[in-house]
Amino acid sequence: MRSTLSELGQSLSRNKSMTISLIVTMTVSLLLAALGLLILAQSQRTEKYFGDKLQLQVNLCTKNSLAPTCIGGVATDDQQTAVQEALRGNAQVKSFDVRTPQQNYDQARVLFGQSETGRKQLETLSPDSFPVSYFVTLKDPQKYDAVVSQVSGMDGVGNVSSLKELLGPLFSALDKLRNGALAISALLIFAAVLQVSNTIRMTAYARRREIGIMRLVGASSWHIQLPFILESMIAALISAALAAGGLAAFVHFVVYGYLRDTLGKITTWVGWGDAVQVVGMTTALALVLALVPTLFLTRKYLDV
Amino acid sequence: MIRFDKVTKTYPGQKRAALDGVDLEIEKGEFVFLVGASGSGKSTFLRLILREARPTSGRVYVAGKEINKLSSWKVPKLRRQVGTVFQDFRLLPNKTVTENVAFALQVIGKSRAEINTLVPETLEMVGLEGKGHRMPDELSGGEQQRVAVARAFVNRPMILIADEPTGNLDPTTSVGIMKLLDRINRTDTTVVMATHDSSIVDQMRKRVIELESGLIVRDEARGIYGYQN
Repeated sequence: MRSTLSELGQSLSRNKSMTISLIVTMTVSLLLAALGLLILAQSQRTEKYFGDKLQLQVNLCTKNSLAPTCIGGVATDDQQTAVQEALRGNAQVKSFDVRTPQQNYDQARVLFGQSETGRKQLETLSPDSFPVSYFVTLKDPQKYDAVVSQVSGMDGVGNVSSLKELLGPLFSALDKLRNGALAISALLIFAAVLQVSNTIRMTAYARRREIGIMRLVGASSWHIQLPFILESMIAALISAALAAGGLAAFVHFVVYGYLRDTLGKITTWVGWGDAVQVVGMTTALALVLALVPTLFLTRKYLDV
Repeated sequence: MIRFDKVTKTYPGQKRAALDGVDLEIEKGEFVFLVGASGSGKSTFLRLILREARPTSGRVYVAGKEINKLSSWKVPKLRRQVGTVFQDFRLLPNKTVTENVAFALQVIGKSRAEINTLVPETLEMVGLEGKGHRMPDELSGGEQQRVAVARAFVNRPMILIADEPTGNLDPTTSVGIMKLLDRINRTDTTVVMATHDSSIVDQMRKRVIELESGLIVRDEARGIYGYQN
């Protein structure tokens, strides 16, 4: 063991620049993989959050509605009843709540009252500017199309809005970010594997005399490979630790420092628990990335 | 100790066999010279004993094991029973004499206590007592070859293979190395030595096997370098 550790020390100092470049590449690739995985966790979390709460908002006509289904002005009682019956009869509808124009107006006052322009807009509005609304909870949040197409054409219905539609761009941006991070990470992982291969080849060349003697005097394959395996493992663990540090900084400054404060009302954001899980995965990935090529290539280059 | 049973070795891409139907047996404790021109098959013969190469046909037995059938993970064990010495010494330049010899034991997992006993004992045997702390470049060619012999013998192998061990040495130093190999042979270690050095072969009068184009053309019990008429 003492001789293996001494070989390892010599090898690490001999290959200093190669080892550092390997660690840098691996760290960046692992950090990107970690961010990709964190975004994945975020997408799943967001989807679950909105999946639980996903509702359709069916707004009936007001006196100002321009939709062709609102020619008669404010929705009549008959029209309201027809829409309610249609919702009750639809197999995808779990339940629905009615919100009066006054309730909608009160809610708008809270939201608009947060800014100066909003307050000015409020001056021009009164409760009768707001519609009667139905907040519909679906059985399967993904199947909102059927309900939308059924009620949107009915007389008295001003418009139907879906949170899913509203937040679609956020979902797709998250998906694109995740795919981008994972694709760049895959490229860098490929580069890291090539660097592992180069480092092993260079070390094998630098130590060809020792390795030749080790083989001749009957050192086991394992004994010959061990310094190479330890070297790769150390590089992998340092990279994994640095990537974990980067991810912790991201979670601290971006997720807790910005997203949770400023966009906390949109969705629930990933936290330290998710980050720990992702670090576990990237550490395992780092070890696999270092060990698999090392085991394979040492056999090839050392002829053991 | 070593048996070649109709052994033929043809390297990939070569038409002519490096060894062609070689049949021979070397007993435990024998001292054998392997002679012949360059390309006659001496190195292939030694490589087959070390399982650095495998025969194309036929069987090679070393220390009772048929080496063609030996799985790769058992090869290191075989090599621990075969010490090897080369013409170019192959010492590690950044290690002292003691460290060079100890290296052979460290890498096969011997304990520090064993290393501390065996290394000084072997250095004394090869005539290098008191020089253990020197670096290889502080030694003469003969002394460097003694270190190489010590490294090959420190694990007390059953067989010692020497590939032109006197090739880089002057005649007087060569005699010293031959005396050392003879001394090792007297410990019942089988010695197989490939050489071009006719005076040594003629002086020692040991078994001589001559190879020519992969064939054994002569096998004499107390032979000399050239043909005996």
